[in-house]
Amino acid sequence: MTGSPLHLPHDVSRRDFIRLSAAVAAAGILLPSTKPVAAQTMTSSECELLLLAIDVARSAGAQYADGRIIRTQFEAIGAREQMITQVQSTDSFGINVRALVGGSWGFSATQVLTRDAVAAMAREAVAIATANNEVAPSETVLAQVDVFPDADWITPHTVDPFDVSLEDKAALLLRINEEALRVNNIRFSNSSILSVKEERLLATSEGSVIRQTLLRINPSINITAISPDGSDFQTRGAVVEPAGRGYEYIRGLELASSAEGWAEEAAMKLEAPSVEPGKWDLILHPSNLWLTIHESIGHPTELDRALGFEANYAGTSFIYPPEDVINKLRLGPEFLQFVGNRTEFGGCATTGWDDEGVPAEIWPIIEDGLFVDYQTTREQADWISQYTGITRSHGCSYGQNWESMPFQRMPNVSMLPGENDLSEDDVIGNTDRGILVEGRGSYSIDQQRYNIQFAGQVFWEIRNGRKYRMLRDVAYVGRTPEFWNALDTIGGPSTYYLGASFGDAKGQPIQVNAVSHGCPISLFRDIDIINTA
Amino acid sequence: MAEEKGLSSDDLKALSDRIIQLSNADQCRVNINSSWRGYTRVATNRITSAGGADATSINITSVFGKRVASVSTNSFEDDALLVAVRRSETLARLAPESPEYVDELNLQSYQDNQAYYESTGELEAITRAEAAAIAIRQAESAGQIAASYMDVRAGTRSVATSNGVYGSHSSTGVAYTLTSRTRDGLQSGWAGDEANDWNNIEGQRIADDAIAKCRDWRKTDLDPGQYTVILEPTALGMLMLRMMNSFNQRTADEGRSYFSKTGGGNRIGEKLFDDRINIYSDPAYRDAETSPFNNSGQPINRQDWIRSGTVEDLARSRFWAGQLDQEPLPSPSNLIMAGGNDSLEEMIASTKRGVLLTRFWYIRGLNPRIISYTGLTRDGTFLIEDGKITRPVTNFRFNQSLVEMLQNIEMIGPSVRVAASENSSVSTPIVVPTLKVRGFNLSSVSDAI
Repeated sequence: MTGSPLHLPHDVSRRDFIRLSAAVAAAGILLPSTKPVAAQTMTSSECELLLLAIDVARSAGAQYADGRIIRTQFEAIGAREQMITQVQSTDSFGINVRALVGGSWGFSATQVLTRDAVAAMAREAVAIATANNEVAPSETVLAQVDVFPDADWITPHTVDPFDVSLEDKAALLLRINEEALRVNNIRFSNSSILSVKEERLLATSEGSVIRQTLLRINPSINITAISPDGSDFQTRGAVVEPAGRGYEYIRGLELASSAEGWAEEAAMKLEAPSVEPGKWDLILHPSNLWLTIHESIGHPTELDRALGFEANYAGTSFIYPPEDVINKLRLGPEFLQFVGNRTEFGGCATTGWDDEGVPAEIWPIIEDGLFVDYQTTREQADWISQYTGITRSHGCSYGQNWESMPFQRMPNVSMLPGENDLSEDDVIGNTDRGILVEGRGSYSIDQQRYNIQFAGQVFWEIRNGRKYRMLRDVAYVGRTPEFWNALDTIGGPSTYYLGASFGDAKGQPIQVNAVSHGCPISLFRDIDIINTA
Repeated sequence: MAEEKGLSSDDLKALSDRIIQLSNADQCRVNINSSWRGYTRVATNRITSAGGADATSINITSVFGKRVASVSTNSFEDDALLVAVRRSETLARLAPESPEYVDELNLQSYQDNQAYYESTGELEAITRAEAAAIAIRQAESAGQIAASYMDVRAGTRSVATSNGVYGSHSSTGVAYTLTSRTRDGLQSGWAGDEANDWNNIEGQRIADDAIAKCRDWRKTDLDPGQYTVILEPTALGMLMLRMMNSFNQRTADEGRSYFSKTGGGNRIGEKLFDDRINIYSDPAYRDAETSPFNNSGQPINRQDWIRSGTVEDLARSRFWAGQLDQEPLPSPSNLIMAGGNDSLEEMIASTKRGVLLTRFWYIRGLNPRIISYTGLTRDGTFLIEDGKITRPVTNFRFNQSLVEMLQNIEMIGPSVRVAASENSSVSTPIVVPTLKVRGFNLSSVSDAI
C-alpha cells in the first residue's frame, strides 16, 4: 500500500551540485553556496540610517523614539512520501521607527533604505503619534533601562541551519518518509524543516545600539494511516519540537530512525478503542503539557491582555485585576513554580535584549503555587509596580519583523521540575486508573483562559501503575484554576522537556511569536475526559 | 498618507519582465505582491497603536525539468533581483525532482473585476483616528470601555510565467471591529464590518450595536446541551471560512475527508445538506471581489460548490486533475452562501427556546471525517424564550459537526459580507446569512466574558 518509493539519487545530486558550483564560479557570479545571499551582519551604513531615523523623529517632536533594521530569512523544505513538495527561501529586510508624542505612539516602516525614505518614515511615525495624541490623548511612562551603546548577541549554536545544504535536508526528509511508509496501513507521510534567521539592529533615542542574530528551527512530521477498507484514518504528528537552536539540534533528534515508531503509533490508532468519557487521572507528558501551559498560564499572565489591551481579539484574562491577584491568587499546590525566562537554552523566545533594549532575564510568575507577577514591557512596568514592588521591565517587547510595531509578547514561560527526581515510570506507577497523553493535539481555550479543551497525539490507558493499551478520541476539559489545583505529582529534572510553537498569535495587525515552555511530566487527579469521535 | 499605495501595475509588469529575462531556468514564474497596510488600534478607550507600511515581496520560482524551487525577496534593485534569480536556480538544481510538478501555464485570460476602491486606498490616519474616536466617546458616555481595530489594505498583485502568463489585479480591503465591555468586566458586546469599499463600513452602526449588546445585565447560567441557535452572520462566517478548506477533491479521493466515499472515490453529486444550502465562490461578487487568478496563474471564475444541498464539485490541482483526466478547478478565493428571506426578528419570534450567538473564538478542528470543530461563543450570547430575547447568558464551548449544522437548517436570512477572521484583519471575503439551526451542541459552560 505504500506505492513504489522513488529514491533520491544522492550521488547524482552531489555531482549536480559540484557541476553547478563550478558553472557558477566560471560565470563569475557571487553565489558560492546555499547560504543566504544577504549580508550576515548589519553594516555601519545601516546603523547610520537607523540613527538618522531616530534623530529625525526626535527633531520632529518625539520625546522618545526607537527603531530597528530587521532582516528575516526563512528557508522551508517539505516532502511528501518520496517527493520534495516545497523549496522556499524568503528574505525580507526593512527599517522601522516608533515615536512617542505626549502619551501616544506612532509607528512607520519602509523597505526603501535611502536617507530620504527613512527620514520621511520617521516624520510619518511622529505625525501618526501626534494625530493620535490630539484625538485621544493618553499617558505613557517608560521604565528605566540601562543604556547599551554597543551590544551583540547571537543564539548559541554550532551549525547555522542556513549553512546546511538543501540536499542534506532533502535526503533526511525523504529518509524519514521512507521509514514511516514501511509500516502497514501507513499511506502518507509529510515532513518538513523550517529554518529562521532574524538579524536585528536596535537603536533607541536614549543611546542603546544592539545587534542580535536569532536562530530558530522547526522540524515537522505528520504520518497518516488509513484503514484497509478506507473507512477510517488516523494521524501521528507533533512528534518533535521547534527550538531556538542551530542545525545540530536536528541532527540530535534521530528523526529517520524514530519515524517507524511514530508510524506504528499512527497505525495502532486505527485499532485502538475509543475512550470512555468521564473522570480519569491524567498524566501529561511534557510534549503535551507545554501547550496547556502556553494557553492557561502563559497567556493569562500577559499584562496587556489582563488590562484589556487585547479585548477585541486575543481576549482578556481571569488573572485580574492586578491588585486582587498579585501575591493572592492560588493557582496550584505549593510545589508549583513558574518562571518567565528569556535566557533558557534552546528557547524560541530566548534573546540577549528585547525590542526596547531591556536585557533578558528570569523572574518568578508563580511562586509556591501563588501568582506573583505578569509579563511586562517598559510602559507596562509602571502599571503594577505598586503591587509587585518591581519598577523594571521584564523585557517582553517584540515585533515579528521590520513591518511590525513591537508590543508585549510571551517569553519562555516554564514550569520548574520537582525537587524529588521522579521519573516517568515513577509518575505512571503512582496511577491506578489514568490516561497518559503524549504530543499536542487539537487545543482550544476561551478568551479569558478559563475553559480548556485539549487533545493529544497518543493516549495510553494506565492501569495499576502500568501502560495497559492505547486509546483514541481523547480530550481533557476543565476550568483553569481547578485544573492546576488538581495537580498531584510532578516529575524531576530528568523528565524536563522544552516544547515550543512558532505560531503564538496576538495583536492587531496579528503578529506571530515563537516561544518555548519547559515542564516535567505531571499527574492531575480526577479530570473530565470527553470523547471527540 | 494619501500617496500611491505600493507599486503600480506597470511597475509590476516591468519587474516581472526583467526577472524573466534574467532567468536561465527551463521555466520561471514571478509572483509579486505590493501593498500598503494602515491600521489604528484602540483599547481602554485610547488609541494604543497606529501605523502603516508599504511592502513589496517578489517570489521567483525556477524550474529545471521537474526540479523546482522558489525564492522570495523584498528588494527590487537590479543586483538584488539577479542574486535572487540565481539563488532560486541554484536551489532548483539542488532539489530532487518533484513528480507532481506540472508545467507553468501559458497565456490565460482573466475576467476584469474592479476590486480597488479609492475610498479605501486613500483613507488617512486621521480619518481612522476620528472613526475610532466616535466609538471611544460613545463607549465612555455609556460607561463602557472600547477596544477596536481598523485594518486597511491597498495594493496590487501579479503573476507572470516564462510561458506567457501575465495577470495583475489591484484591490483594497478594510475591516473595522469593536468590542465594548462594562467597566466591571461582567458584560461584553461586539460588532464589525469588512468590505473592499470603505463607504460600506458603517462606523456609527458598529458603535451602536457593540454598545447595545454590552447591556449592563448580569449574565445568568444556562445548562450546556443541544439548543436551537441563531447564528448571526459573523458567527456563521467564522465557521464557513474553515469549511472552505474541506472542498478538496484529492483529500476526498485519498480517503482523508468527509467527502471521501467508503471504498474509494468521492461524494461529488451526492445530496448531503439541506435543500436550501447553496454555496459558491465568485471573484466578481460586489464588495467581496478577489483576484481573478491564483498564484500559478489559473483563472478563477464563479463556481458552485454546493447547489441545493448537493455537492456540485470539489477543487482539484492541475496535477490531480491530470491524474484523473479531468479539468483542474482552483480552490475558492471567496465564499458566498446564498441568503433567504427570513428576518432576524422572525427567527427570534419563531423560537420557543434558543440561543442567539454573535461570534466565536479559538475555533479548532476536531474530526475531519465529520468536519467537526470546537470553539467558544463570545461577546453577545443571549437566551431566547417564547419568541423574545430574555437575558444574556454565560458563554459556551461548542463541539459541532458543520455537516450536521448544514443539515439542521430552520431559517435563512439575507447574506452579508462579514469580518470572519478571528483576528479581525482583512481576510478571505465571506458572504453569509443569519442562520437558525436546531440541535447545535453547546457542550460546556465558559466563565469567560
